[in-house]
Amino acid sequence: MSGNVLLEVKELRKDFGDHSVLKGISTQISQGEVVAIIGPSGCGKSTFLRSLNLLETPTGGSVVFEGNEITAPGTDVNKIRQKIGMVFQQFNLFANLTIQDNITLAPVKLGLMDKEEAQKRAKELLERVGLPDKADAYPAMLSGGQKQRIAIARSLAMNPDVMLFDEPTSALDPEMVGEVLGLMKELAADGMTMVVVTHEMGFAREVATRVMFIDEGVICEENAPQEFFQNPKNQRLKDFLSKVL
Amino acid sequence: MQNFINEFTLNFIDDNRYQYIIEGFINTLIISLFAVLVGIAIGFLVAIIRSSHDKTGHMKAGNFLCRIYLTVMRGTPTMIQLLIIYYVIFATVNIPKVFVAVVAFGLNSGAYVAEIVRSGIMSVDEGQFEAGRSLGLNYRQTMQFIIMPQAFKNVLPALGNEFIVLLKETSISGYIGLTDLTHGGDIIRGITFSAFMPLIAVALIYLLLVTGLSWCVSKLERRLRVNER
Repeated sequence: MSGNVLLEVKELRKDFGDHSVLKGISTQISQGEVVAIIGPSGCGKSTFLRSLNLLETPTGGSVVFEGNEITAPGTDVNKIRQKIGMVFQQFNLFANLTIQDNITLAPVKLGLMDKEEAQKRAKELLERVGLPDKADAYPAMLSGGQKQRIAIARSLAMNPDVMLFDEPTSALDPEMVGEVLGLMKELAADGMTMVVVTHEMGFAREVATRVMFIDEGVICEENAPQEFFQNPKNQRLKDFLSKVL
Repeated sequence: MQNFINEFTLNFIDDNRYQYIIEGFINTLIISLFAVLVGIAIGFLVAIIRSSHDKTGHMKAGNFLCRIYLTVMRGTPTMIQLLIIYYVIFATVNIPKVFVAVVAFGLNSGAYVAEIVRSGIMSVDEGQFEAGRSLGLNYRQTMQFIIMPQAFKNVLPALGNEFIVLLKETSISGYIGLTDLTHGGDIIRGITFSAFMPLIAVALIYLLLVTGLSWCVSKLERRLRVNER
């Protein structure tokens, strides 16, 4: 399942003033892996995810993506981000643009596709996420689940090598969680490398190839899902699982 | 009724006195229009410099200059600014008064537009910005294609209000001897010694102008709101 190392994180630290959120996180993420990150709220899992595409600037350590140290000064962050898709809890679809323009904006403005090509790709992606009739709608007209599927399509339009999901189903009504998780499952099956911060234990268990438990800014335990859930070793993980399962 | 007609004839028809009103109307229109354009240009520039500084920490010097500009423009009366620009800054050069007025009102309005637009930029959810950046768009592209269109829509009512204030504020142009609408009416009053006719006429024309302006702004507002159903 796992191939080349795509992301290598070494001793990643992030401080907000005196408050240390990440206290030295090291891990590797290989091509084709689906890594689920779980942990109590405020543990630093979102900050960790956001550090991977430098939406948060780490205060220490390094992140290497496809052989380039993106935390090094002088790195073209915009170029790197083109290859790292991100899906947000609050969807963050561009409110001023139609669905089609949401999907085509970045590829066209960044010169990766011409307008016609991008629109064709948008059409394919809308088919894929099951919303082919929404091209001319605006985000405000869609349900939460639809918005998140469009957000995933928008990310896919850039043909990313890895996708980061920051609690993609946490802002959804319960009946809409399934449609988004279903789509993510399909992506995983297609071999997309994914890093998913989530509270969906079912998803972590069934879809992830590895589950990571972060608490108080460090990785307390990471393992294949079967072992992780059935035989947790870390005491805090045991406590956490006893509360959420 | 006969009295009304006599008054009307005295104030507007005799000696073609209506021409004072026409001249003033045209000057008020020219000053307002160009001052609005100057104000928008300055306002957007200052707002972008200030909010970029707030977001990225860059442009410290630019931000400092902008803050001085805002403090001075918002901290002193428009009339004093107009007088200083006419009698001090342009004292030794022979420049059309309308131009002086455009500069003065444009500079003044720019300060208010700047803070309105900056509040609009800040009102756009941070997630919109992050989504743009996460796709690989740079700061400028994200601002241009995502943040500014939404900010503009959000502040349109406040901008419309500012333009109304500006239009009416031009009525102090008479202080530099410029025949704007107010001054034109006042000239008639000085000749005929009747206050009612010229002042009411001037007030009605301002009212019509402002009503027209409000109508345009609300039409634009409705057009920009298509994505909110």
